[in-house]
Amino acid sequence: MKRMVSLVSVLLAVLLTGCASNVVKQDLSAFQAAKPRSILVVPAANKSVDVDAPAYLLTTLTVPLAEKGFYVFPIHTAKTVLEQEGLYEGEQIHNQPPAHLAQMFGADAVLYVTINQWDAKYLVLSTTVTVDFDYRLVSKDGTELWRANKRMQYSPQNQNTGHPLANLIAAAVTAAIERAKPNYMPLAQMANNDVFILGPTAIPNGPYQKVQ
Amino acid sequence: MKKLLIAAVALALTGCAANRGLYEWGGYDGLMYQSYKNPEAVAKSRASLAAHIALLEKGGKRVAPGLHADLGTLLLQSGDTAGALSNYRRERELWPESAVLMDAMIKNLESTKSKEVQS
Repeated sequence: MKRMVSLVSVLLAVLLTGCASNVVKQDLSAFQAAKPRSILVVPAANKSVDVDAPAYLLTTLTVPLAEKGFYVFPIHTAKTVLEQEGLYEGEQIHNQPPAHLAQMFGADAVLYVTINQWDAKYLVLSTTVTVDFDYRLVSKDGTELWRANKRMQYSPQNQNTGHPLANLIAAAVTAAIERAKPNYMPLAQMANNDVFILGPTAIPNGPYQKVQ
Repeated sequence: MKKLLIAAVALALTGCAANRGLYEWGGYDGLMYQSYKNPEAVAKSRASLAAHIALLEKGGKRVAPGLHADLGTLLLQSGDTAGALSNYRRERELWPESAVLMDAMIKNLESTKSKEVQS
């Protein structure tokens, strides 16, 4: 019985603290004043060597922003429209005046992301995958509403089988798999969730998120 | 006591899910990723997205922002102008924020269509 009581109190403690976060809030007064309803996500500027990174990253940005309560413009449609305007590269798009882009789409705000890093470093027996993004949300009148940077890194733990040779083989297999196809998407998703929703840089809720 | 324990466990498990998702995405992000990664996967992504949206509409559930519009663009790129138009109209109906873009897309398609009829 006593054990049960302590188990209940541990669970309650987890429950009470689990969702709380002690954070230093950044200045969101411009964001709150602008009250954007809709966000246009444009293809990222790319400082990494992976030419596919901007398109891949684009696919991860809709869900967290829409779940935060904003109307997020259809990424594929927006990308296609920009291409028809001759705007293929993120750098080129980022050089457009925000007011021009916002007006073209009828957006309240534009999200610019710069990919600083998107790579996998191969050591003999393990791989480290790194992503690093700068995020910048700008209002249709050109005011910066919010900015953040996020870096995420993943290096798989070597499975310890307790047998040196088996460990070596397991690590080699892991490295081979990741060398063939490093998966950046979970890292990109974690970075987005962290900056928009969970971390100290979290943005205010949009109009479709009722509960504050 | 046991009931209390069960209740506490249930709360602990669901507590943080209080901000449960607003929408059912049906793997939209993954489908778009696949279509960018492998052009041969576009048809499959398009079909899966269409099926997911049809299921939501049938169940009277709100379709997430952008899904109709991106399905519309995928259909347009496969040559299905009628399918594109109906999805752009649906996006506009569901999401007033999309009006400027959707009106432009619809107008553009309709004028292309009428030009085709004239020629």
